Amino acid sequence: MSHLLRAFPAFLRVSIQAMLQYRGEILLWCMWGIVNPTVLYVMWSAATRGAPDGKIAGLDQNGFAVYYFFLLIVGHLTAAWDVYNMSYLVRKGQLSPLLLRPILPMWESLSSNLAYKITTLMFAAPMWLIFILITQPSFQTEWWQVGLGTIALLLGAALNYMLCYTVALVAFWTTKLDAVGEIYFGLGMLLGGRMAPVDALPPYLQIASELLPFKWMFAFPVEVLAGMRDDVNSVTRGLLIQAVWVVLVVMVFRMGWHLAVKRYSAVSG
Amino acid sequence: MAQIEVEHLGKTFKVPEREAGLVASIGSLFRRRYRDVRAVDDINFTVDAGEIVGFLGPNGAGKTTTLKMLSGLLHPTAGEARVLGHTPWKREADYLRRISMLMGQRSQLQWDLPAIDSFYMHGAVYDIPKADYQQTLDELVELLAIGPVLKKQVRTLSLGERMKCEICASLLHRPAVLFLDEPTIGVDVEMQARIRSFIGQYNRNHGATIILTSHYMADVTALCKRIIVIDQGQLLFDGSLAALSQKMAPFKVIKIDLDLKCDDYPFAEIGEVISCDDRKVELKVPKAEAAAATAKLLTDLSVLDLTIEDPPIEDVIKQVFGGRTQRDDAEATETAGASA
Repeated sequence: MSHLLRAFPAFLRVSIQAMLQYRGEILLWCMWGIVNPTVLYVMWSAATRGAPDGKIAGLDQNGFAVYYFFLLIVGHLTAAWDVYNMSYLVRKGQLSPLLLRPILPMWESLSSNLAYKITTLMFAAPMWLIFILITQPSFQTEWWQVGLGTIALLLGAALNYMLCYTVALVAFWTTKLDAVGEIYFGLGMLLGGRMAPVDALPPYLQIASELLPFKWMFAFPVEVLAGMRDDVNSVTRGLLIQAVWVVLVVMVFRMGWHLAVKRYSAVSG
Repeated sequence: MAQIEVEHLGKTFKVPEREAGLVASIGSLFRRRYRDVRAVDDINFTVDAGEIVGFLGPNGAGKTTTLKMLSGLLHPTAGEARVLGHTPWKREADYLRRISMLMGQRSQLQWDLPAIDSFYMHGAVYDIPKADYQQTLDELVELLAIGPVLKKQVRTLSLGERMKCEICASLLHRPAVLFLDEPTIGVDVEMQARIRSFIGQYNRNHGATIILTSHYMADVTALCKRIIVIDQGQLLFDGSLAALSQKMAPFKVIKIDLDLKCDDYPFAEIGEVISCDDRKVELKVPKAEAAAATAKLLTDLSVLDLTIEDPPIEDVIKQVFGGRTQRDDAEATETAGASA
């Protein structure tokens, strides 16, 4: 453990340095991150104007502004992309040098993930402010919701990261993983409340979203932070479900990693 | 004392195959055919502490696959191996901390940053005490003469500079066992010589055990007293370079400087003429006939100088592997392992 405590800050430092080499790319990634929620906000906001009581799934125009504002933040801070990275590393044989180290390659990947989130904040935060200036949302969130919402956000980020990395292990068997990445991303959009708030989904999709982990990565932290969940018990139950998911995925990862490394054939030398 | 013990080690890959063309491609969507390729087939050897062993063989012979099994990257399909008392493919952290594998075509450095940043990260990953780290780094930087390039982005380095930085990163934690897979590939002759000299020095200074694969015979002849020859996954020879020459090339090369031009002498009746250039002739004769051939030449001709030599090791190796075409299947074994 002490070894990890020394290695991880070193990974993080080097990852941040590597990220800072590409300021242009950081800006473009931030723009990519803001475009999708903004477009969806505009769409739902327009739809509320046509609704009989000006509301869809209990949200009016201001409700959607608040929801998508927090989705911008949650989407940014929970981002994970190893499902795309891993197949490249396996196919190009670039995992070999990482496997030769006396430390799980996941730690370096996690440091890159955090480095991205830290370095992109300087561009992302002003964009979030611009979103507020344009949409002028009125926030109803109470302080306890900010506190528990932050914990939900951290658990959501941990869950998305671990699940994404675990799904990425499929690359050890299929080598090419782009389609798996798209399915994962698509499910996150639909069942994670990114395309639309979960309450706006058809009932059968709401059940699926309750049972699968995607809602607990994105929609749940957003709902708490946006003040849409005003029952402490409901929030506590959600946090517990998130924690159970994290533990479950970590266990699956540990088993999967062992099998994956055994399977690894060092493609391309 | 043996630091590396290999017993009946084998690795068989399942490789997908199909005929060329669109129809075959569509067919493979529904019914995929696989073929078993034995990359390493029942090999045995031991390496003592402090030895440098050259691992020779044509492309696809199974050299890299063997090194990958010994470094813990691949699980074998048969046999056992112990390195430093560990089973490599269990990948225990204590084991990985004591070895290093340098792959000439794989980079362990951060591409976008100066090499010094990768070294810093390496020090933390291997939990090297700060004082030891600095001392080893200073020593390696001096021996490899990489001081001027430490602060340059890795992607801007020349291949030779990068290889020296890769070597530096591989050795920062002072591994007791070093697997070097083509450490001089692609670098110029002068840089090859420097890298060779450094590897030899590291072996002498630290008593490290080294297994080296290289396509450059100069690497092997300069560094390795012992070589292991592998082909089609099987161990063909294990012994000294001189013994390889004895076993695999039972002939001598007679070089003659003549006093007079002698075009009409029947050299071909004495041995195989390697070259005949004005007054210089090179003949290849069976070892058993070398003495008689020499005596006849000295009797028949006016000879200024005559030497009898073992054939160059390059020629021996060519002879060992000569006549074999490179097998695509075995090549595929080392370059496309995952049977997806």
